[in-house]
Amino acid sequence: MLEPGGALAELRVGVRHWCEAHVPPGWRHQQRGADHAELVEFLRWWGGELRCSGLFAPHWPREWGGGFSVEEQVVIAEELARGDVPRNALFHVAVFNVAPTLFHNATREQRDRFLPGIRDGEVWCQGYSEPDAGSDLASLQTRAVRDGDRYIVNGQKVWTSWAREADWCMLLVRTDPSEAKHQGISCLVVDMHSPGIAVRPIQQAWGPADFNEVFFDNVVIPVENRLGPEHGGWGVAQGTLAAERAISILEMTERLRHHGIEGAIREAVAWRLERGEVALDDPAVRELLAECWAEVHVVRNVLNQMIDDIILGVDVSGSSSVIKVLYSELLHRMMLRITDLRGVAGQIDAGVLACAGWETGFWMNDFIHSFGWLIGGGTNEIQRNVIGERMLGLPR
Amino acid sequence: MTLSSAEQHELRSTARALLGRASTSKRVREVVASEAGFDADLWKQMVELGWTSIHVPERLGGAGCGYADLAVVLHELGRAFTPSPFLATAVLATGALLAADHDEVAVPVLAELVAGGSLGTVAFASVGGSYEPAQRSVSWSPDGTAVQLNGAAGYVVDAAASDVLVVAARAVDGTTAVMLVDATSAGLRVERMQTIDLTQRLFNVSFDGVRVAAEQMLTEPGPRAEALLDRLLTLGVVATASDAAGIAEQALESTAQYARERIQFGRPIGSFQAVKHHCANMAVAVEASRATTKAAATDLDGEPAGWRTTAGITASYVGPACSEVCALAMRVHAGIGFTWEHDTHMWMKRAKLDEVLFGRPAWHRRRLADDMFPVLAAK
Repeated sequence: MLEPGGALAELRVGVRHWCEAHVPPGWRHQQRGADHAELVEFLRWWGGELRCSGLFAPHWPREWGGGFSVEEQVVIAEELARGDVPRNALFHVAVFNVAPTLFHNATREQRDRFLPGIRDGEVWCQGYSEPDAGSDLASLQTRAVRDGDRYIVNGQKVWTSWAREADWCMLLVRTDPSEAKHQGISCLVVDMHSPGIAVRPIQQAWGPADFNEVFFDNVVIPVENRLGPEHGGWGVAQGTLAAERAISILEMTERLRHHGIEGAIREAVAWRLERGEVALDDPAVRELLAECWAEVHVVRNVLNQMIDDIILGVDVSGSSSVIKVLYSELLHRMMLRITDLRGVAGQIDAGVLACAGWETGFWMNDFIHSFGWLIGGGTNEIQRNVIGERMLGLPR
Repeated sequence: MTLSSAEQHELRSTARALLGRASTSKRVREVVASEAGFDADLWKQMVELGWTSIHVPERLGGAGCGYADLAVVLHELGRAFTPSPFLATAVLATGALLAADHDEVAVPVLAELVAGGSLGTVAFASVGGSYEPAQRSVSWSPDGTAVQLNGAAGYVVDAAASDVLVVAARAVDGTTAVMLVDATSAGLRVERMQTIDLTQRLFNVSFDGVRVAAEQMLTEPGPRAEALLDRLLTLGVVATASDAAGIAEQALESTAQYARERIQFGRPIGSFQAVKHHCANMAVAVEASRATTKAAATDLDGEPAGWRTTAGITASYVGPACSEVCALAMRVHAGIGFTWEHDTHMWMKRAKLDEVLFGRPAWHRRRLADDMFPVLAAK
């Protein structure tokens, strides 16, 4: 078990050794082309490994098994990326989205009820988007009608990751249709094993099917499962907090460096261009790869600035949209450019690797996958509205 | 000791207040049309405030702070697009003298620069604007107890105003030397290159048998001289990037204000997403440029081993990003932004010159690739 509170250098060595001892050699090769069941089994096993290490949720409070400082979280994120660990994808919603909501907006009883389960490996999903409520999330229609000490829920959610595996769902519902759209929403925790829930997988553009549609047909939810005030759910579930997003994107950025751009540089020694020349010797290729390499450092510089501010207690919520746009646009452009560089050889399918993040080294798949980052968590177009309105004071 | 963040904040406020008064658009336009090309009174105040010697050690008459602090001033000078000898004197010439091995040459001149008694610059680009050693177009050769300089250097910042020049030259056998040359030396000629950016002046400096005492060398000719020039190039890159980030920040603020106030179709144009998203993209680029120039300036206060990489990362991103911010500023301002009267073209021109003054971004990427790829490919 890795513990907080020691020297940073020792923690770094500790995480590095843990990765060397626990990341199965060849996992990328083994998992390539895995079907959904194999993927889930692998991710459950990997989540268990992380839970035994103390690295499952370093940002949680000490009493819940976390307690690592922001500086320590940075070291952990850097070393996990460097150590080429599989992504903790199946538990990401629980650890990074649900738990912070519970810490900030739940009662003591609710925390005691739900957090131990997350720590023991329960899977959560997030019931936010609907067919007619995407970017305009606040117009959601899924209806919860109060009936004494319970709600009766009817409606449909979509783009719900891991809903088939989930034990619980953090669900946004409309409890008061007479109010303005942001005001009549509540946030409920739903047992995904409840009668009346039907889940249908949606295959994503790049192949895997961790997405789902979720249908609610007279699903009964006890009132004690409501997070925050009735009709006050919009403020409860405002997504990942800025600090957690910064650490999370820091890990992604380090992955983009170690396994994205530096992976491409390593591989380009073996790639041949049309005239037989080694790709890495070609001036245009060199410039392109060097530009991408530099830009990964630029994203890291912005993250370092955010981390410094977080440590100083400065509000970084404004930077949250900036870093999302910056990281995702770089990821997207980089994957496109490397795919283009591979020419027709880059169009051969070597099998999707679904648990490695956004830089599996199968560049065309990564390119398609990267649209997910442009869209998810609020499209970059919506993020630009947020930047314009909240940072620059532009009118709506 | 670099400044604390509270002290940096104070330095920034002082600089913004002074330049807000003394470097208004109207004043800048007057100054660039003058003979000197900069405001001598403002320069005197900058020296008195200690801006030119922030990074000079206390034993040499400076404040003993760092490049991270100097970058605060550069950023503010960029915001106000102030014409001043700051880059040439305080960054380049002072930087060269601070990096010199031969104190007996460097220290007295440094004292003059710090006190504001004289101005200096560095001539190290070729007539074609290249910083590659093999392209250097000033030659040096022994001439008795002295050396003789022939040829020319291009794109020398503020050479006409300078009293001393640090000159990079190449011997027939390729050995690099860096020496201090008096601007009044016989055979030295300075000729203005008319830049499109009116706020920064560049010159061609030619040497026709200019004799320089051998003691004027700042370091031993050869690898040490080359290392000194490499360091100067990084200083130039980081300084122009800081300047550009300041311009971009100012362009963003002005553009957002314009987008809030300009009414078309009965509403502020900033409410239209096409305009809003231009502004948001500017904000993202400004944030990234600011963070990167700050990180780069902080690197300059650390170990020299990483400086070339710092220069590469900074030059690859910041220049193009800030130029793009200025381009978007002009688009959002539209008709009024396309006039000589408005300042958008002043921002744009200065940012474009900043982007390439110390080497094209593409060249810096090639250097990055040459330095880093053998290491990365072997990992």
